[in-house]
Amino acid sequence: MTPTRIRLARPDQLTILWQDGLTTCHPLERLRKACPCASCREESGQTADPFRVLKPAELEPLRLVKIEPVGHYAYKILWSDGHDTGIYSLEYLRGLEKPELIPTT
Amino acid sequence: MSNASMPKIELPGIRNVLAVASGKGGVGKSTVAVNIAVALQMQGLRVGLLDADIYGPSIPLMLGVQGQVDQATTPLPLDRHGLKVMSIGFLVPPEKAVIWRGPMIHRALTQFLTQLDWGELDFLVIDLPPGTGDAQLTLTQTVPLSAAVVVTTPQEVSLIDARKGLEMFREVRVPVLGIIENMSYFMGDDGKKYEPFRSGGGARLARHCSVPYLGEIPIDARVAASGDEGTPLVARHPDSPAAQAFDRIAKVVRRELESAPAANPLPGLEMT
Repeated sequence: MTPTRIRLARPDQLTILWQDGLTTCHPLERLRKACPCASCREESGQTADPFRVLKPAELEPLRLVKIEPVGHYAYKILWSDGHDTGIYSLEYLRGLEKPELIPTT
Repeated sequence: MSNASMPKIELPGIRNVLAVASGKGGVGKSTVAVNIAVALQMQGLRVGLLDADIYGPSIPLMLGVQGQVDQATTPLPLDRHGLKVMSIGFLVPPEKAVIWRGPMIHRALTQFLTQLDWGELDFLVIDLPPGTGDAQLTLTQTVPLSAAVVVTTPQEVSLIDARKGLEMFREVRVPVLGIIENMSYFMGDDGKKYEPFRSGGGARLARHCSVPYLGEIPIDARVAASGDEGTPLVARHPDSPAAQAFDRIAKVVRRELESAPAANPLPGLEMT
């Protein structure tokens, strides 16, 4: 499945229109938490460290700084917290949210 | 290394990029890459050959390049048998091992692709290192590969790994043109066909994975001799059955890639 359009329709939500006409809407917080990179996956399996000092960027609302294609199969996202090692394959993105039929404007 | 420094390379002068891959080493991948490249060139196309096997480059030997190339006097890529050729083996002595981690490999391959003058090419054939590791991932993620072929030998131990190679290309969405079975059989002096590594494995794997079977290359002492002496078989013995098999495969590759619509790049982000 291939996307035809990918856009920030709202500042807190990434919207992907797919080839079959369906759309998936990705709230950024959830997309960030679903980062498939090795360190995020490892982190998600552990209890949070209560003494971890947050970085200043982590205190601000999460923004998507950049998203760029990786080959023909994935997107890589640079987040405002500085994280950029997650490669979201198209299959993974498509499966993260329920695809809906949303009339395009 | 951060992925942020791995942008997609653009190769505007190169129409098609074909990766020759194998799951397992020693199946004759470089031999296949060289002979397909020369066969395409003999069909009148402009062809380049990039040896991406940084750890075990064999292309210099197979094309008769001895010793290192002095970049001050000889421009790279080299011109050999009508091909434009680049290999790490032109820069590092053969007895010296290249002991590099992934990022260094990525840097070297990126430089080979972007900083050398490849000119206008109809095909760039890339001889990938065996396996599904760093160099393969780097190339599949950063180079606009048009397609790949996977080389195997008929026995199960090679087929298992070839299947992993197929999976890798499927995962990164590089179309696989098909499977090539090397060392399939040899013709004895008695005129009989012998299959020392069993038979039909490549075709079976192709059927199982729903990819085309591109054909078999027979064992021929002249294949190895031509490689070791630096003149590829298709140029030296064009009428031999193995050379004709390479030629047929080159024609299929050409037909498939020339008729395939170029894969559209993924859309970028619209800020609305």
